[in-house]
Amino acid sequence: MHDELLLMKDIRKVYYPDVIALEQANFSIKTGEIHAIAGENGAGKTTLMKILFGMEKANQGELFYQGEKITIQSPNDAMKYQIGMVHQHFMLVENMTVAQNIVLGIEPKKKGLFDMQEAKDMTKRLGEMYDMRLNPNAKIRDLSVGLKQKVEIIKVLARDAKIIILDEPTAILTPQETKELFHQLKLLKQNNYTIIIITHKLREIKEICDRVTIMKSGRTLGTFLVNELSIEDISKKMVGYDFDLKPITSNKKLGQPVLVVKNLLLHHQGKPLLKNLNFSIKEGELVGIIGVEGNGQRELAEVLTGVRSDYEGQIFIDGQNIKGLNIQEIRQSGLSYIPEDRMVEGANLAGSIFESAIALKAQQPNYRYGPFLKLKALRTYTEQLIVDYKIKCENSHVQVKSLSGGNIQKIVSAREISENPRVLVANQPTRGIDIGAVLTLHDKLKELQDNHKAILLISSDLKEVYDLARTVIVLFEGEIVAKIDNIQNVSEEQLGKYMLGIERQSGSEAS
Amino acid sequence: MSKIKQLVKKIWKDQNFSWQNLLYETIKTVLAVVIAYVIAFVIIYFVSDQPSNSIYWFVVGPFSSLMEFGEIIRKAIPLMFAGVAACVIIKAKQFNLFTEGAFYVGGLVAAVIAIYMKVPAFLAVLVALIGGGLVSAIIGYIPSKLKASLEVNEFVSSIMLNYVVLWIGIWLISNIIVDDASGDMATKIIPEVSKIKVFLTGTNVTYGLLIALIITILVQLFFKKTHHGYEIKMTGDNQKFAKYAGIKTKKRITEAQTLGIFIAGVGGATEILSNYHRFNWKSLPGFGFDGFMITIIAKNKPLMIPLAALFIGYLRAGADLMAFNSDVAQEVVSIIQGVIILLIASERFFSSVFFKNLMDKLKEKRKARKEEVSINE
Repeated sequence: MHDELLLMKDIRKVYYPDVIALEQANFSIKTGEIHAIAGENGAGKTTLMKILFGMEKANQGELFYQGEKITIQSPNDAMKYQIGMVHQHFMLVENMTVAQNIVLGIEPKKKGLFDMQEAKDMTKRLGEMYDMRLNPNAKIRDLSVGLKQKVEIIKVLARDAKIIILDEPTAILTPQETKELFHQLKLLKQNNYTIIIITHKLREIKEICDRVTIMKSGRTLGTFLVNELSIEDISKKMVGYDFDLKPITSNKKLGQPVLVVKNLLLHHQGKPLLKNLNFSIKEGELVGIIGVEGNGQRELAEVLTGVRSDYEGQIFIDGQNIKGLNIQEIRQSGLSYIPEDRMVEGANLAGSIFESAIALKAQQPNYRYGPFLKLKALRTYTEQLIVDYKIKCENSHVQVKSLSGGNIQKIVSAREISENPRVLVANQPTRGIDIGAVLTLHDKLKELQDNHKAILLISSDLKEVYDLARTVIVLFEGEIVAKIDNIQNVSEEQLGKYMLGIERQSGSEAS
Repeated sequence: MSKIKQLVKKIWKDQNFSWQNLLYETIKTVLAVVIAYVIAFVIIYFVSDQPSNSIYWFVVGPFSSLMEFGEIIRKAIPLMFAGVAACVIIKAKQFNLFTEGAFYVGGLVAAVIAIYMKVPAFLAVLVALIGGGLVSAIIGYIPSKLKASLEVNEFVSSIMLNYVVLWIGIWLISNIIVDDASGDMATKIIPEVSKIKVFLTGTNVTYGLLIALIITILVQLFFKKTHHGYEIKMTGDNQKFAKYAGIKTKKRITEAQTLGIFIAGVGGATEILSNYHRFNWKSLPGFGFDGFMITIIAKNKPLMIPLAALFIGYLRAGADLMAFNSDVAQEVVSIIQGVIILLIASERFFSSVFFKNLMDKLKEKRKARKEEVSINE
């Protein structure tokens, strides 16, 4: 009778004061399918799923479970209907074991006491059933990101969820790990689980999904059978226009080396974080740094930008050793930095767009009369950035926190790139933002390259690195395990092996 | 006329002004005040033998004569200083409570300067005020510097410092600069030239009011127009962001605390030079702590602080009259203050989301009614 297992009808969600996150959003799933929700960031995918999972409340709209009208007020309600969610940012207790995390809140009891053995058995049982082998005694903090995600999935399974929502599950995984995840998802599907994946990676939709619901600016454009659509069709619907997926590497001749790193070493409490790094970036060159997260990328960026200065070795910008300079002085010597965490390090969510945009200009004498800011000039500057980078907002007084991730990232990169730096360090500049914003950003990076600037791109999106970089450095446990002169000659599989430390580049070893 | 309108429009646009927001804040504050008063009335009703008389003096009393009305303002002046001082410190997300000690130090130093230093008459007040502020700021620099450099919690160190300066002060006024003729632990009489004169005749309101208002406006300009103000706010909002942008966050943290304490010191000096013949404080005046309450009520907006201070001044003036004319103790005010702070600081009480939904429903109803009317026509 009821074709749909779950139906969301005419959902509307408004964030105070008047940011419309969802408007007439409709969504339905059938038992045993893998269903993708695709759309740019800020399209409302996550919000819609949070409403389904009871973390947010809709202002309007109805929910039906097997044809019956239901209300979900909290995640606890959602559990009653066997809905579980794996969040983009894991919610695990870092210094507890895998088994402890999995049974948290649903602890098995024996004679009124916590039954640790049963918890371990449960972890093993569920893990074996779906090919997710985990050591129940391992501490979460010792696990890789991929394994943490598995813990999250088992956590959801342990709560008897039949509908599993995954928010951007592959954003942080290596190609191998992604493959593994897909294998497990298919196993779950065979066992009549229903899976919803929030994603904007089109190839993945093609690979494992049965149906896809496409969202754009808070509305659902419709649900389609994946077989009947090509990747181009989906992207056209998502963005609303065709976009060029061709690589845009610059063919310009490279100039002088701008950034030179020599014998860079970094220790933290006796643990090596960066091991003897040597590389340089020339004018007009974009060097990509890839690796599984937590293998020294963050530390490298922090050292280059002056946030950490407890390193050994030398770093030169245009021949000037930056050791001992503070952040402001390093920036003055020509370095700009797009930080990894735009919500914390990149922008001030508690303030207005204007305040986040002028953070660098406000320090410069030509934007000041003595102690006073040249507010008019700064205002014009901000408005120019908003236009140049197509930042979607009413005006520059709007609070940063009311914007989507893509638009926040545009503010951050606009601010940094407009400094016209000699060298730009961009740490995960396009993670989790929509295709429109990615394209704007890629164009700007290319423009910088054409203007003979040096760029260091730290990215976990291999596709992005293939598109933009020629020279690529692979980091594993703080060490350069491969330095590739032309990435087009190296397969994704091979890169994955370097990233996981299975292989090292032979012969022409870096450094 | 139209030019003024345009200017007003522009100022509102610059502040990102919205009527809805103003309405929301106003309703929330009024609701908090009403609830607090109802609770206070209930208590007075049970405690007092003639509740109507007590309530009359408490509520209407401060408006019964010009003198009493002036009392509201006189009580509000130190609260304005303290509120602005706390506001500056909180903008940098610090909790330096030495504003309390600064009132004491500021008052003491101002009195000493006024009594012992030979300064030309027209400079007498100014020198005493600035001297009081500077000495406070120098002492207040200690906890703020400790916070910035060694991460010593400024909350704890500043509270302890309050008592250090208090007991040094008491020792001074009872041993070193004591005037035996006073028969008290107190300094000599402050000479008339150094006193701040009465501003509104018929009341005790002095020019201290103007000083407080000017400082309030200067602080507003400091945060809106200067790069130090901007950097302090950014550091307070998100220290990591400020640091990554190259802002010297440690300097801004000490700067904000020292500036706030300077203002509190000037406040203490103003209070002594306005309302006292001798410096004779034997305990901390409490204004520094009040300042943090004031700035919470004012939502940390400098221009709102005078209003919040006047309101608390009104409460206290009323309480004084009530205690004098009836059998209810003035401590009832503390209950009102407490309830108001609780409700205003509470995110959930009359939350912005709830208000938004309410407004939406109202709009829909109005729309529906309009449609009905048009159909009927």
